[in-house]
Amino acid sequence: MSTNTITDPPIAQLSKAPDPTQRTGNGTKYWIIKGFAVLGPLPVLLVLLAVVFGLVSPVFFSAQNLQSIATMSVFLLLTALAQMLILISGGFDLSVGSNIALTSVCTALVMNAVFGGLDEYVGLAMLWGLLVATLVGACIGLVNGIGVAILKVNPFIVTLATMSIFAGVTMVVSSGREVSGLPRFFTHVLGSGRLGVVPVPLLIAIPVVLAIVVVLRRTAFGKSVYAIGGNETAATVAGIRVRRNLIIVYVLGGLLTAYAGWLLTARVSSGQPQLGTEYMMQSITAAIIGGASLRGGRGGVGGTILGVLFLVGLTNGMNLMRMDSNQQSIAIGIALVLSVLISRLREQARRTVAVMELTRR
Amino acid sequence: MDAMPLVELVGVSKRFGANLALSDVSLNLMPGEVHVLLGENGAGKSTIVKTILGTYQADGGRLLIGGKEVAHHSPANARASGINVVMQDFSLAPTLSVMDNLFLGRQLRRGGLLDASAMKRKTEELLSSVGAEFDANSEVGALPRSEQQLVEIMKAIMGRKGLVVFDEPTAALSDHEAERLFQIVDRLAREGWAILYITHRLAEIQRLGHRVTVIRDGRRISEHLVREVSNQTLINQMVGREVAQAYPPKASDGSLGEVVLKLDNVTSANRKVRGVSLTVRRGEVVAVAGLVGAGKGDVLRVLAGTERMVEGTVKVNGHTTSQPSARKMTSVGVGFMAEDRKTESLAQLLTVHDNLTLEVMNVRTNARFGLLLTRRLRRITKDLIERLEVRPQNPDSEVGLLSGGNQQKVVLARALARQRDLLVVAEPTAGVDVGARQLIYEQLRGACAAGAGILLISSDLEEVIGLADRVYVMNAGELVAELPAAEISDEAIVAAAFGGGEIA
Repeated sequence: MSTNTITDPPIAQLSKAPDPTQRTGNGTKYWIIKGFAVLGPLPVLLVLLAVVFGLVSPVFFSAQNLQSIATMSVFLLLTALAQMLILISGGFDLSVGSNIALTSVCTALVMNAVFGGLDEYVGLAMLWGLLVATLVGACIGLVNGIGVAILKVNPFIVTLATMSIFAGVTMVVSSGREVSGLPRFFTHVLGSGRLGVVPVPLLIAIPVVLAIVVVLRRTAFGKSVYAIGGNETAATVAGIRVRRNLIIVYVLGGLLTAYAGWLLTARVSSGQPQLGTEYMMQSITAAIIGGASLRGGRGGVGGTILGVLFLVGLTNGMNLMRMDSNQQSIAIGIALVLSVLISRLREQARRTVAVMELTRR
Repeated sequence: MDAMPLVELVGVSKRFGANLALSDVSLNLMPGEVHVLLGENGAGKSTIVKTILGTYQADGGRLLIGGKEVAHHSPANARASGINVVMQDFSLAPTLSVMDNLFLGRQLRRGGLLDASAMKRKTEELLSSVGAEFDANSEVGALPRSEQQLVEIMKAIMGRKGLVVFDEPTAALSDHEAERLFQIVDRLAREGWAILYITHRLAEIQRLGHRVTVIRDGRRISEHLVREVSNQTLINQMVGREVAQAYPPKASDGSLGEVVLKLDNVTSANRKVRGVSLTVRRGEVVAVAGLVGAGKGDVLRVLAGTERMVEGTVKVNGHTTSQPSARKMTSVGVGFMAEDRKTESLAQLLTVHDNLTLEVMNVRTNARFGLLLTRRLRRITKDLIERLEVRPQNPDSEVGLLSGGNQQKVVLARALARQRDLLVVAEPTAGVDVGARQLIYEQLRGACAAGAGILLISSDLEEVIGLADRVYVMNAGELVAELPAAEISDEAIVAAAFGGGEIA
């Protein structure tokens, strides 16, 4: 082993023949590649999207449409952040749609029962709603987490199973019917209200998003999630409690998704057993477009926000252009494939930048 | 013998970057002869094999197959010339049947369709020729390792008659299974196959070999007829090298402190570690030496909890446990440098900083109200990057983009990021260049001088001799020798590692 220095360090080899242009002309070319490596393609794509739809549709930049984009983004963002957390840890979650539906039905049933048409119970009803959402989300997350971390079943299988199980539970609980009769404050203020020009759901989501940023960047737990997704063995050898952290990841994901489900219930004014089915596909798409990797260890809040904006903006723009849902579905599929291809280019850019930085030194 | 060699290397050399892996190696492989290639880890054996198989192109010298010089050798060319290999790691598809594995990519056809009956017939012929007891439709993944090896052998001998390379074939076999393998090898040789046999076990040379070539530091040292040479001669030739590296001075007797690590009769679930007892004192470097596959790496894995311990106790710093885990160990002052930096140590996608602080971030003083003290952690990273001369110096570089030596420095930096009472380091300089090596040795010795004990697990004999104050030698999962400072020598370690019983 010892005398065997035949390793394959990409830089060590590449840097043997430093390209002279990289040394001297270290200005623009370096910064373009560096910018692409650090920021990814999304900033450019978002601007492009805004310009195209802005030109095509005069409504796109109207205040009302922007508010609509912002509101729709909030629900998807909470779910996509859940998905992102789990992707970073090296797994993924197919059960987000079922989570939203079950949360919607359960919170609506409980809020309806507590509220009972009496205005003095509105606050209490909403409190109960939040509590039930928390419980549902934590339960689903716990089941997923135990399946992945303790029973060591592949996340795909675990969450495929819970997707089916909790979809069934939703139908049983609701008998397949919508649950209406929710407090007006809940549906009109929490769901569709505005404070000045800012939609209320957005205001509610902001602290949650900030909290996730802090958790990921400033806590040992957050760093551990990246490490577990990046290399589980290495994390174990470094003394990280892998199983415990993984369970927390899935519970957090479940909570975020349930939170989205609750807000979405307010938005649609009733508990619906079919709510959120499209969120499984969309949350994964947004997180991946936003830079998370299916192999784990990569992803961030900023990228996910941009990914969500891109996806919601694209959908919104296509709606304005009166494209039907089939065409939209094709476009989103193409966007997903392209984003993966672009992220591969970004990986190359990272390497190139690393080589450039070595030779510039 | 005046028959023509099947494969002939004449003055072959091979270079990897600045490193000369093979230099002027000549080798004749005759039909009907079992030729043993003997050398330490890293001596160049596998480079020779890969050159013969066409995986590597020689940089100098000539390669002749069947007496004809080959200009552009390739794996396809090797296969077409009847050159095959039975690797240690099998190249079998576990979910396919034996027959499907054998004919993978070379199915027999008739009229555009697969000719199942012809393939079945051929498979059964091969099965009986190696004396296998499973049948053609058995799923390969369900077979035990020893039987999978038979499938691998069948694959190697189903084509044109030529050369079969066996790469340490008995490493994972029981004595009984090994004997069956020897009989197969014997028979192949009688049938006129040329055999290149790589082994670490001296006993097998006497049992099987006709001719043996000793390789050291990429050079051919000698070639003997097996019946004319003693094991002692082979060992001396395999080892005799001068020490090129300068090592920091060793510990003096007076500087040793109390026992900081004590393993008592430790056995692992995978049986790679069996009944191991050892001690490490503060201030000393204790090495576990032995061949690749002897179970050294599993000693670390047991301590880090990635391999389960089924028997025995581990006592670290006064704390005793029978179920060690990295978490428990790090909390009582143990640092690890695992054997394989890619799979066991580093998250390749994460930055130098994130990898380096993976462990210290769990230290209470590095967080307040659950929030990490980022600035303090950054300073720890910056200091270690400077101290260990990690290049590039940017703490936010992705670790996967660093060279092997620099990645290894990051692993070491993580181990040194906090005060330790014990460091368990496995293959700390594998794939690391000379300069970085020097630095790693100095840092390890420095930690020792500061009062830590070091358990060094290494396949690199030179490193063991240069660095260790005391050496345990491991062979097939057991410690077979303990050498105090005065008795540490190439010969003593190699004799024990290769199964010293036969040469005493």
